[in-house]
Amino acid sequence: MPRSRLLWLTVPSLLWFAVFSVGPLVAMFAIATLKWKGLLYEPAYIGLGNVTKVLADPAFHAAVRNSLIQVAVAIPVMIPLAFMLGYHLNTRPRGYRVLSVLYFSPGLISISTTGMIFYGVLSPNGGVNGLLGAVGLDSLATAWLADPATALPALIAVDLWRGVGWTAVLFAARLASLDGEVLEAAQIDGAGRFRTMWRVAFPMVKDYVRTLTMLQFLWTLFTSAALILLLTKGGPGTSSTTLSYLVYAKAFSQRDLGYSQVVGVVLLLVGVTGMFLIRALFRTKEESR
Amino acid sequence: MKPRFATVLSWLYALILAVPLYYLAVSALKTNIEIFTEPFALPATWLWHNFATAWETARLGPALLNSVLVSGVAIVLTLALAVPAAYALARTDNRLARVVTGTFSAGFLIPPFAALIPTVVLAIELGLYGTREFQMLFLPASALPLSVLLLTQFMLTVPPALAESAAMEGAGHWTLLTRVYVPIAMPGVVSVAILQLLTFWNEYLFALTITGTAPDVRTVQVALPTLLSDATDLGVLAAGTVLTVLPVYVAYALLNRRMQEALTAGAVKG
Repeated sequence: MPRSRLLWLTVPSLLWFAVFSVGPLVAMFAIATLKWKGLLYEPAYIGLGNVTKVLADPAFHAAVRNSLIQVAVAIPVMIPLAFMLGYHLNTRPRGYRVLSVLYFSPGLISISTTGMIFYGVLSPNGGVNGLLGAVGLDSLATAWLADPATALPALIAVDLWRGVGWTAVLFAARLASLDGEVLEAAQIDGAGRFRTMWRVAFPMVKDYVRTLTMLQFLWTLFTSAALILLLTKGGPGTSSTTLSYLVYAKAFSQRDLGYSQVVGVVLLLVGVTGMFLIRALFRTKEESR
Repeated sequence: MKPRFATVLSWLYALILAVPLYYLAVSALKTNIEIFTEPFALPATWLWHNFATAWETARLGPALLNSVLVSGVAIVLTLALAVPAAYALARTDNRLARVVTGTFSAGFLIPPFAALIPTVVLAIELGLYGTREFQMLFLPASALPLSVLLLTQFMLTVPPALAESAAMEGAGHWTLLTRVYVPIAMPGVVSVAILQLLTFWNEYLFALTITGTAPDVRTVQVALPTLLSDATDLGVLAAGTVLTVLPVYVAYALLNRRMQEALTAGAVKG
């Protein structure tokens, strides 16, 4: 096989990727135009009929709002906090081993085990209420996952629980690959720790901060369905229904595949728009050359 | 000297991480009543039979085997597809190669969940709905972009002179790949294998909706939540959860540094 033909070796993986990843993604747009009551029924073409239906549905409005809240709270808390903790980890503080093992833990635990851990922690007879009882704050105790006021905040808290430590470990790994002398020099120059962190270290890893912000944004936006399915089923009412969960619920429990995939397309659009926003937010001078 | 802000913050968050894990571990050995009345105390009597109950109720034995089988086949398939592709991309530098790399870079950003429902339809069309086989075929596809990109990075560290001289001596692509490139890129292969095995092992939503909840085919991630009911025994649930995360923690204890490298490598490449 001559050198120029070598790229044939990439064909099997490209094909595989096309069939199992790109194909379904494209099919979404087609399914979005169908009236389809469930996987066992025959679909019928209705064009933009689903779009009108979705746009007029209060459940969809609630899902848009909840998804925006989820992303707007989780990401701005997660990224700066994770950066600070990652910076701190990178200085190898006392207890570094313990901290790094703990921070790393959520990265090992699957979404279904996370769900089961917090099912226990947040249930009416669970850990949080037990803790409140122990310190005499019984009045604050509630059924966290069944109370419309706390269901979504509880889910966001779980996102943060698993996301912050893991992201901090990633930041620490990236910061460790930097030239340590620059940071030391800045400290010797009399720049305070806080200043060194944000004015010297942060710009050096800005591209990476942007990458992680994008990834966390996409993960938070797209993958919330699993945790919601395990913990709240989108309820009570629609108080914890996100776009991601709506895609799932409409397809599997409410038997409207066309609706589900219109929401799926909206989710994609929100994802792409968000990525551009994040990109613009982190634009550096060098890049606008 | 008063403790610094960063120190306080880092331990506070560590505590927030540790408390639910501790709560899980002690709950696994208690009754529902004790979990509620003494949530953070050590169990009065250690109810080891919670583990046996969880194991039998959720049928975790077959589920663990299914998870091993699905993850095992999927990782072999992933490497079989990604290694040759990475070799080709590492040795070719032209526009077409850059287009292929670009395709995988863009693919890396597509969250797999996006196309869940059409993927279910695909499984039905292929006659593989409700089987483990579909997961074995599908999981590699979602893992390919990152695997190919990472492996290419590692294969680019092979000195071109070494490859040229081996080629001069008449080594074909197969020999070059198996005798030169794979051995040198071995740390990368191991990293990709660890990273993707963990991803496959932990996959939940596709396993739930495509393979389904039938006890003979479901994976451990799908089996565990079957312990939920209207009257969930929280102790049994906690015991089942401990049994489910245990294999991953054992692997972490054994592979510690390698695992951390593998998982951070996965996200560092962006």
